Amino acid sequence: MLARSCLRSTRTLNGLRNGANNVTKRAASTSSGAANEAVPTRLNVAAAASTTLALGSMAWYYHLYGPVAFASTPAEEGLHPTKYPWVHEQWFKTYDHQALRRGFQVYQEVCASCHSLERIPYRSLVGSILTVDEAKELAEANEYPGEPNEQGDIEMRPGKLADYLPSPYKNEEAARFANNGALPPDLSLIVKARHGGCNYIFSLLTGYPEEAPAGTVVAPGMNFNPYFPGTGIAMARVLYDDLVEYEDETPASTSQMAKDVVEFLNWAAEPEMDDRKKMGMKVLVVTASLWAMSVWVKRYKWAWLKSRKLAYDPPAESKVRH
Amino acid sequence: MGLWDAFTDIVESVTPWSTVEAEAPAQEQEEAPEADSKDEEEEEEDEEEEEEEEEETVDPKEQIEEECKNAPQCASVKHHFDHCVERVQQQEEDGGAKEDCVEEFFHLAHCATDCAAPKVWARLK
Repeated sequence: MLARSCLRSTRTLNGLRNGANNVTKRAASTSSGAANEAVPTRLNVAAAASTTLALGSMAWYYHLYGPVAFASTPAEEGLHPTKYPWVHEQWFKTYDHQALRRGFQVYQEVCASCHSLERIPYRSLVGSILTVDEAKELAEANEYPGEPNEQGDIEMRPGKLADYLPSPYKNEEAARFANNGALPPDLSLIVKARHGGCNYIFSLLTGYPEEAPAGTVVAPGMNFNPYFPGTGIAMARVLYDDLVEYEDETPASTSQMAKDVVEFLNWAAEPEMDDRKKMGMKVLVVTASLWAMSVWVKRYKWAWLKSRKLAYDPPAESKVRH
Repeated sequence: MGLWDAFTDIVESVTPWSTVEAEAPAQEQEEAPEADSKDEEEEEEDEEEEEEEEEETVDPKEQIEEECKNAPQCASVKHHFDHCVERVQQQEEDGGAKEDCVEEFFHLAHCATDCAAPKVWARLK
């Protein structure tokens, strides 16, 4: 079969190259002389052997390299988070800024006692989460080191919009000391920093089972969370129903708070997302317009060529042979 | 069970290195033959009780996932999990669990959250 199709392809090639030879070639290839009787058999054997070799080498390769070795158990790997239909992850959707506001409230009231958000200044909250006055009021509630006075001492001053959100601990060592050796990570870029992003953090926050599955050994001071690699996490479950009271009277269920705070953390990691999507749409609009223009210009430029008419005007017959 | 599941099932059944897992039928009480390839040596059992939550606001995620765990599509994994819990508790009574149910729990949680995800999002703001 393979040999026959090969022959056919050479025949068509020949036919393309030289139409005149076509008929004779085809006649030659279809003729069955006594001398050529052995050739198809040999071809069949060669084809079968080469095919066997090819398939065999593939099988051998798969046998050697196909199965992937997983060095870790599922528990060490952690449960992969389910994909949730986040609205803000869609191409033409923005953050829900009401949700960001609720999420910031959850961060402040729940997360901020252990987790810092040190890359976010108050000024970036203005316009997307808080009003100017709210942000100023929030900043002034904290003290920051100011300029040196005439004696060279640094005095504390109330915060300004340009200051960054305060961290709960002075440094990493203090954070570890207060948390039994575990470091609560900074949350500024946590959505980008964790595999699974929003889904992972949402699953982690809401995924604490009421009790660990039977037979599980949870180290002292640790908590069981299936989504955390190794399943033993130092952070206990923090979100409980009605833990915060939303100003817009959204029912503060555990998953609602988790969803809001995750969307807020996504904003913290990617505050430029709304602008980026807007810019992307601008790019699409501009390129679409340019393309449309180029099509019209091409039509215009080629009009003379496309609309011309070629006519062959043969010279008059004459007796003179050139 | 989509087309992909059917295909991967066939591939897994003919590959010699894959794990053998017999899927239990949904309603059958008879125990399906299980061959769990877990070799984690866990000698002690230590269960930490999570705090009970207040029931003023009902968490839609918890509620829907509970429904999903009992839905027919998760019946098989739930059966495996329940069976594992039963077995491990028996082992604990006999002095020391030889395995844990983390893997079965993962499968059940994966099935339940997968089923619940769009429904939860429809309920949340």
